[in-house]
Amino acid sequence: MKFKIKKDVLIDGLQKVQSIVNPRTTLPILSNILFRAENDRLWLSATDLEVSVRASVEAEVLKEGAVTLHARRAFSIFRELSGPDIEVEVGDHETANIQCGSSFYKMIGLSEDDFPPLPAFDEGTSYSLDQGIFKTTLQKTAYAASTDETRQVLNGVLLSFRNERLTAVATDGRRLALVEQEMEFQEEEEMDLVVPSKTVNELIRTLGDSGPLKIIATNKQVAFDFGEMLVVSRLIEGQYPNFRQVIPASSEQRVAVEREALMMAVRRVALMTTDQSRSVRLHFSRNKLEVSTETVEVGEAHESIAIKYEEDDISVAFNPEFLIDPLRALESDEIFMEITDELSPGVIKADVPFLYVLMPMRIS
Amino acid sequence: MRTIIHLDMDAFYASVEQRDHPAYKGHPVIIGSPPDQRGVVAAASYEARKFGVHSAMPSRTAGRLCPEGIFLPVRMNHYIHVSEQLREIMEQFTPLIEPLSLDEAFLDVTGVMRHWRDARELARTLKQRISSQLDLPSSVGIASNKFLAKLASDLEKPNGLCMVPSGAEAIRAFLAPLPVRRIWGVGKVTAKKLAEHQIFTIADLQRRSTSELGRMVGSAAGGEHLWALAHGLDERPVETGTEDKSISRENTFGEDCRDPEVLRQALLELTEQVGHRLRKSGRYATCVTLKFRTSDFRSHTRQETLASPISSDRELLRHALGLLEGQRIKEPIRLIGFGVSRFTHTMIVEEEQPDLFGITQQDEKARERNQRLDAAVDALREQYGRDALRRGNFTITSDTASENQ
Repeated sequence: MKFKIKKDVLIDGLQKVQSIVNPRTTLPILSNILFRAENDRLWLSATDLEVSVRASVEAEVLKEGAVTLHARRAFSIFRELSGPDIEVEVGDHETANIQCGSSFYKMIGLSEDDFPPLPAFDEGTSYSLDQGIFKTTLQKTAYAASTDETRQVLNGVLLSFRNERLTAVATDGRRLALVEQEMEFQEEEEMDLVVPSKTVNELIRTLGDSGPLKIIATNKQVAFDFGEMLVVSRLIEGQYPNFRQVIPASSEQRVAVEREALMMAVRRVALMTTDQSRSVRLHFSRNKLEVSTETVEVGEAHESIAIKYEEDDISVAFNPEFLIDPLRALESDEIFMEITDELSPGVIKADVPFLYVLMPMRIS
Repeated sequence: MRTIIHLDMDAFYASVEQRDHPAYKGHPVIIGSPPDQRGVVAAASYEARKFGVHSAMPSRTAGRLCPEGIFLPVRMNHYIHVSEQLREIMEQFTPLIEPLSLDEAFLDVTGVMRHWRDARELARTLKQRISSQLDLPSSVGIASNKFLAKLASDLEKPNGLCMVPSGAEAIRAFLAPLPVRRIWGVGKVTAKKLAEHQIFTIADLQRRSTSELGRMVGSAAGGEHLWALAHGLDERPVETGTEDKSISRENTFGEDCRDPEVLRQALLELTEQVGHRLRKSGRYATCVTLKFRTSDFRSHTRQETLASPISSDRELLRHALGLLEGQRIKEPIRLIGFGVSRFTHTMIVEEEQPDLFGITQQDEKARERNQRLDAAVDALREQYGRDALRRGNFTITSDTASENQ
């Protein structure tokens, strides 16, 4: 194998795939990135056996072939080289000779034969979407997924293709984020996929702001094909809980609140919380929303935000992290809060497809 | 430099029986099931070992090998009682004691050495006190770390006292002639892999590099482990458990284990032991940890922070199994451990974050029932010993299962 490539182009490609490489893998081959030169492109692949990523970049291929190189080391070397042109040639014994200006490096690699091949997708249900729309859908939901390893099925984002809609849901059992939009597909193409958080984060990192995206899914795995990228992932098995049942049908009060002001207030007030007393209190009263906390040994905090509100006072306590997360993921100037009482789930909505359900904290 | 002592009682259960029944002295004593019944040997006196009887052997086999053997039932409570007396003697020497089992412990005596002429004198006095106060034989190893001390206590058994020389050169020379199986963690499988490379003694190991050894045993961590121990290096501290920032127990399998049922059974026992200690200390845990070491010597830990403090065996097991099931472990397991930490003194939390799906909310009545059950089990075990009561089987599943409505 022999190819010439622009340094910036190579770094760009490596950045797209290298985050998948698990630094603590037990199999040496999984520490490596596969470099394959073919058809005037360089194809870069990485996998942790659950998620596999392949990106391609333009290169001048002088001799087709492939080698795998240690991901972290290769990336560091290519990044540090003075550029602008890099030439890589692989001779016998999987050794890559790297030439760049007056620099010369010899890197010992491993054979392509040992590298796990990308799963093949001969059949599967396929959906077409816009990259940008899908990216913001994931951004608005992914943070709510559980990291609790005892609740595997919640360790990812549910993509439910049903009733002419794509519904994306993530929950850790204490809060739930949902984005729903209309989409066209056949009835026999209805399907539920739970995509692991690691895959979702890789997609958020690499999806563009526009352009076509193809999703191909079977029962066990899913592929995302966009631009020069292909992301193939295992799906989380198991039945996702019935999320519809926890969405309150209607709420007593719907209050418009300035998103940025609320986020900053909650963030500041949260500075006065402790491990034992984590909650912040939202008190809705006539034209005023007060965000506050009181901690015996630490002190207290009070912030007021002007709102339009004429009803009875309502007071409810939330985990501030759970309150800040959706506010940060949204871009709208204004959000809408629906609060029933201090024990029932609260709801946050926005003027875009978005719904967030949040369980209040119970104070004893 | 540290001074570590490994104290190992000689044929503990059998020696206790011979002491209590002088008529048995000098005769082969076998503790365990009778030879005409199913079951295994728990311990054998040195007289019985001459016939080839050893612990974990089926009692029938032992009966055949040693027809005149005196078979006695296991009096676990009694041994626990003697073990407590033993601990009191050890405490006269140092507070830094790490018990490994009823009849075995590490003592870190570094800090008390100035009261003694040398470590040998301290160790001899320890053995004498055990002999005069308990009338039991013991073996002692003295070294600069746990690995060497444990190895040494075994070398001159029974009634041995072995001191490993100090200094890197002398330690290497001391280890050199020993077979590789003497190294902690080297079992049948690893020994076989090493033998394929003509490595039979620790001297053979000392001549290889960590990376060579790593390739032979199939993992870099394993290579480092072998290399360090072959050179007599071991930094593990003597862990007294008195800090009690966490309570944990672990279990090393005789043979690497793949069977999920065996893993679950091991966790059942570990959670019960941890739960017992936790409740005895009057506390509740808000963090559980699962630890496992795969056959390539890599250790993994997984933690879960709990929404509310727990102390019941049932709850501990549920979370332990949840963590285990989340692992999709593919390699065989050589060690599994379970621990709890971040303690509270009350079950009541100021704030509670309820679950949207109502999954983690504990049923108050069930909680109370579990508490009463644990209290009863603890009381029985304290009176009659740990084996007085066994959980027949368990029908607890992890959260993951209960979510699959």
